[in-house]
Amino acid sequence: MSAPVDAEQAWRDLQRIRVPQERVYDELERSGSGGPGATWATAALMWVFLAGLGLDPPRWAVVTATAGYVALLAWLAVLANRRRPMRLHRSRYDWRSSVTFFAGALVTGGTVLGTGRLVEPMEPLPGSLVRATVSAAVFVLFLIPANRWATGSLRTRAEAGR
Amino acid sequence: MSIPTGFDELIHPATRLSVVALLAATEWAEFAFVRDSLSLSDSALSKQLHTLEEAGYVEIHKEGGGRKRRTRVRLTDRGRTAFEGHVAALRAIVEGAASAPPGPARSEARPGAAAR
Repeated sequence: MSAPVDAEQAWRDLQRIRVPQERVYDELERSGSGGPGATWATAALMWVFLAGLGLDPPRWAVVTATAGYVALLAWLAVLANRRRPMRLHRSRYDWRSSVTFFAGALVTGGTVLGTGRLVEPMEPLPGSLVRATVSAAVFVLFLIPANRWATGSLRTRAEAGR
Repeated sequence: MSIPTGFDELIHPATRLSVVALLAATEWAEFAFVRDSLSLSDSALSKQLHTLEEAGYVEIHKEGGGRKRRTRVRLTDRGRTAFEGHVAALRAIVEGAASAPPGPARSEARPGAAAR
């Protein structure tokens, strides 16, 4: 029994596979970590949380604010996940995705701690505003290009594997 | 040339190949995303998905109701294995032709084209 396609048709079919898979990576680049809306909302939440903490509130207020912050972050994550039109298959992720996540946490956490030290000599109100603004800005400035880099590398890896 | 192992007649038609190729890159995708990405009509995509679902290649989950109703499509393990086998078979055909000596046997009939 002969092959149902010749080499030319098989080559065309292999090229045809690339097009829909490109659409998946386009969407991934477009939506990033839940889309730009989710990034700005996360940064705004971080700003409010850090600005509030810098005012030296009582312990019960710190615990309540932290619990509220974590709950709102979780709600944002659920909302972003619901709005996604697709999720990339786990086999398509590589080490760059994990590196981006941990580097983001490290850079943002480092900025929060670093600016906390730097604003110690200042009054609590301006100090906490400076710390919150710098930390939220670093978060946004790091996350957007880092996500683009991680997604771009996933696309490059997928193309190399074809 | 004989049919390479893994060549899948069910996946072979162009539209179904595109649908399965898109789903292979995802854990799941929404019906509307697949439809818009492949520029298909609702009915054309439904028909292809129904065929793939009957073969056990995809799973279709419907969530919510009314205007918030969402349909998610997922390639099953069986579908993923079939797609990988089909891609390997296509590569084998291309590589087989590249390494074969030149001659008239290179151009064969394409019964699969009838399904397009």
